[in-house]
Amino acid sequence: MNVTLCRDDATYSAGGFLRANWRVSRVSIEELSSVEVSVLWYTEGKGDEDLSVHYFRRYDGAQLRRLGMVDSQPIHCRLPPSPLSYRGHLLSIQWGIRVRVFVEEGREAVAEHPFYMVARKPDPEALANSSRIDLPCIEPSVKTPLHRRLPSVIRRWRDRQGNSAN
Amino acid sequence: MRRSRSVWQWRPWSKKLGRRLRTGPFRGVLGELAFYLGLIFAGVFIFTLVLVAQWMVPGIGIELPEEARVVLDSDLARGGGHHWGRWIVAIISVAAIGSGAFGLGYRLMHLGFSQERISAQKGRLSRWNAAAPPATGPDDESAADNVEGDPKASDEYPSLPAVPRGPALDESLGERLRYRLASVSTGRWAVFGAASLALIWNSVCVVLLAVAVSGWWYGRPRPVLAMLLVPFSGVAVWALKSFLRQVRQIAGVGPTVVEISDHPLEPGGAYQLFILQMGRMRLRTLRVVLVCEEESFFRQGTDVRSDQHVALSKELLAEGPVRVDPQTPWEQQLEFELPANVMHSFSATNNSVRWRLIVSGEARPWPSFCRSFPLVVHPPLMVPPNSPR
Repeated sequence: MNVTLCRDDATYSAGGFLRANWRVSRVSIEELSSVEVSVLWYTEGKGDEDLSVHYFRRYDGAQLRRLGMVDSQPIHCRLPPSPLSYRGHLLSIQWGIRVRVFVEEGREAVAEHPFYMVARKPDPEALANSSRIDLPCIEPSVKTPLHRRLPSVIRRWRDRQGNSAN
Repeated sequence: MRRSRSVWQWRPWSKKLGRRLRTGPFRGVLGELAFYLGLIFAGVFIFTLVLVAQWMVPGIGIELPEEARVVLDSDLARGGGHHWGRWIVAIISVAAIGSGAFGLGYRLMHLGFSQERISAQKGRLSRWNAAAPPATGPDDESAADNVEGDPKASDEYPSLPAVPRGPALDESLGERLRYRLASVSTGRWAVFGAASLALIWNSVCVVLLAVAVSGWWYGRPRPVLAMLLVPFSGVAVWALKSFLRQVRQIAGVGPTVVEISDHPLEPGGAYQLFILQMGRMRLRTLRVVLVCEEESFFRQGTDVRSDQHVALSKELLAEGPVRVDPQTPWEQQLEFELPANVMHSFSATNNSVRWRLIVSGEARPWPSFCRSFPLVVHPPLMVPPNSPR
């Protein structure tokens, strides 16, 4: 099983969009009973585990045969605003994409790809664009263009010159 | 000390050591199914017994063998011989059948389900999936909409899953600042306990004292009872002093009022705080501390234990000596900044991250006090941190 994320640093902003791909290889499609794909968070540490599934999709055998296993399958979902990834003394909050494969004989295998969810103010333009089907991956933060920043830069430069003259 | 696996013998009353799960999940499922089946069988047997003894045998009027009559005349079938006894036994047996059937059905429905699938079916999916583009392929099971949070939590985010809500805090308006924080009441049940103990024990002592005095009065002294009254009276005095100490601790220390300029908090934000301490006392020191605590619950054998860890403690104010009069209560307004890279409030079944303000005072002759005011910290929506940690 292979899970790939669209970001190399595996860091996604809260409320942003997650796009990933999963693929099951080296197993014939006839042997597969079902596949479950989920985006979830769970706690690790001294306390008992808490787990919450944010995105869940189950593919049964007929759906898997219809999809075919040659190409990797996409995962699209919008992440919730909380909880953020956390590593503390007693508990850690871990986000991840989990793919669970059920084989005909009752056996199952699990693969998981962790990622970090951090806080960030969502960009309204990115949110509007991401509602389309051809959703791009996470939009980079939009910087203020130079011609808008120029007056404040000149003002700061003049203030600095005035202070040095005094 | 290592234990040999061959020497160790399984004992049902022993504590689980080492791994939390000694057996596999399959045996657990079997045990659950056996329990629910046993519950159903017991309920059916008892209900049939009551049904036959109450209605069928008198109605049909057949002659039963002696063994069957012994069973039908038993206390269980007759409900102890009381008028409503049979009905009570019948209702209990029907309840056993119902709970067994419900548990068995629930367990069978989730047999072979993965942990994620059960969690998804519980409706814990966020409604944020609704904004995701429709995927090509199979039907989506993630259609469950579940709002885990407050619709008014934020303008941009309508819900904050796993973040505790604080509507009670937001609804309490302050006089100096915007919100008045509610304190966690502590010590009330201790007063009730001390009062009950003092009342019951002193009543018993008075009765025993009356018996002892009447014995001396009528010429039939009870020396053993009189000797026992000495330690009994000591315990009675101790219970009374404990009760008075609890009352003094609550009634003597006046109320503490804490108001805050904004709530819920956000990491990196600056907030004003107003503290008012009423009562009549002289405090050596008065401290206001902002605390972030991690709390975890875990099972150890058959016990549920908890552990706390202070992840952050920031002293906002330390002042002393402080004099508080009924006419001039002590008050202070201060400003503090919540650190930027801190965890937001988090609440799950077994783990939580809690924020609170602690106001504590060290006083004499009055006992020291410590009051806690819970806070809710939201995720830093406006500040993109560089690191997830």
